Amino acid sequence: METTELLEILNGIFRKVLKRDNIALTEDTTAHDVDGWDSLTNMVLISEIENKFGVRFTFREIVKLKNVGDLCHAIMNKTK
Amino acid sequence: MSFISLEFVLLFLLCFILYHLVSDKGRKYVLIAASGVFIGYFNPIFLVTALVVSLFTYGVAILVEQAREKKRDFRLIYWGSISCLVLCWIGFRYANRLTGDSGFIFPLGMSFYTFQAIGYLTEVYWEEEKAERNLIDFLLYMLLFMKFLSGPIERSADLLPQVRRLSPASYSMMTYGMRLIVIGLVKKLVLADHIAPYIDGVFSSMHTVSGVQLLMACLLYPIELYADFSGYTDMAIGTGMLFGLKLSPNFAHPFAAQTTAEFWRRWHISLSSWVRDYIFFPLSSVTRRWGQWGVAASLMVTFVALGIWHGAGWTFAVYGFIQGLVIVWELRTEKIRNKVRKRIGKRLFATLSVIRTYLIFAVSLVFFKAQSVSDAFYFLRSISFQTHASWKEINIGMSDHICIVAGSALLLILLYDYFMSKGDLHLRFEKQSALIRWTVYYLIVFAVFAYGKFGTENFIYLQF
Repeated sequence: METTELLEILNGIFRKVLKRDNIALTEDTTAHDVDGWDSLTNMVLISEIENKFGVRFTFREIVKLKNVGDLCHAIMNKTK
Repeated sequence: MSFISLEFVLLFLLCFILYHLVSDKGRKYVLIAASGVFIGYFNPIFLVTALVVSLFTYGVAILVEQAREKKRDFRLIYWGSISCLVLCWIGFRYANRLTGDSGFIFPLGMSFYTFQAIGYLTEVYWEEEKAERNLIDFLLYMLLFMKFLSGPIERSADLLPQVRRLSPASYSMMTYGMRLIVIGLVKKLVLADHIAPYIDGVFSSMHTVSGVQLLMACLLYPIELYADFSGYTDMAIGTGMLFGLKLSPNFAHPFAAQTTAEFWRRWHISLSSWVRDYIFFPLSSVTRRWGQWGVAASLMVTFVALGIWHGAGWTFAVYGFIQGLVIVWELRTEKIRNKVRKRIGKRLFATLSVIRTYLIFAVSLVFFKAQSVSDAFYFLRSISFQTHASWKEINIGMSDHICIVAGSALLLILLYDYFMSKGDLHLRFEKQSALIRWTVYYLIVFAVFAYGKFGTENFIYLQF
């Protein structure tokens, strides 16, 4: 799967979970850049992403994700 | 030995002079000796307890690391040691209750350094940190006198690298630190200590005072607690700066928060970020399959734990429970709040939200302050909103002089917080001419001596 395609799917998940239509993720996007993406919503997002791609992250893997680019790489590694 | 005592000033001066006279290696011994004297001065048993916990943590971290390298069961060592630390802390906390109020004193600073120890062990367990091999460095991380009594609860990644390479403070760091100490003194002596006796009076005689006085005490207590605890924190951080150390911030203008969730990102940050990283994140990771309900359950457990951290008894558990419940409610009603914001405008909504967050915190603090849950409920039930109350009732016994002094101090503190939120006020202040700077210094020092209430050495968070 290409990163652009992945970003489109992630955009959809983020918009649905965070209930905001103006989200446009890039690989450099961090939680600071997205309204509503904080410690309280992070795990709900991760859970939705896991369900969508049929993958499962460990707690340490989740904590180490620093931006959307890291998330994309983690998903691509798991779905290889 | 309180920060506001002659003994502390003497110890500090001696430590400060020696620290800047001796070699790089000698500085560590100066600080560790000063920390030992500082803790042991309260009670030698407190020093023994802190040393035992520190040495235990130091050894266990190395064991966890070695067991991992040798592919042995490091998880058992980690969980066993965490259980020991928690049980030991709970044992000390509940010793008085278990032994029928035998006069047992909870070791000062124990809640703070135990949490610091658990955090450090967890970082080693998660392989985020290497186990510290230098015992002196580790003891400094655990026992540094400026943050020993009431935090900030330091992270090993922040403080350990600093104590490994101690260096004298730069001139600007020293002046910054001294300014913070003076600001802390203003918060504590000119505001908190002036209003504290009257608020204490209302809480201790809640069955006889009027409903309006209960309302005023409820509304004023968050201010007292903030002035007292952030005043202590400013002094701790400022003292650290005089030794070239940057301690973690604990407050970020909390009364500007628009939601309780935001409030807890601004209030007692070193504790709230600790429970977030070591309780909420792992719990919400385990429960993430439950979606919003998993987050809600994790939040409730986390905030009840945060409440219980403050002390034995249901009052603190209820205090934490209220915080968790409000944040869950805020999560569930975000859509409605967004609609209201659109309808009434951003500015009005923000103002109302700030007031709402303050009021919720003030109500929850009644449980924090009251002796029992039934007392807290009585307090809240008896609050009156009658509008024809006399000024004597509204000022809860404070003289006009105290109202003016404390009111002016509060205004100045809120202005200081406001400007600090817009950028570092200290850095802008440093660029002013010497005449302006020294005029302000003299005015503040004069205000502290002229209007400060001396004679009360204790800080509220000392009991935790």
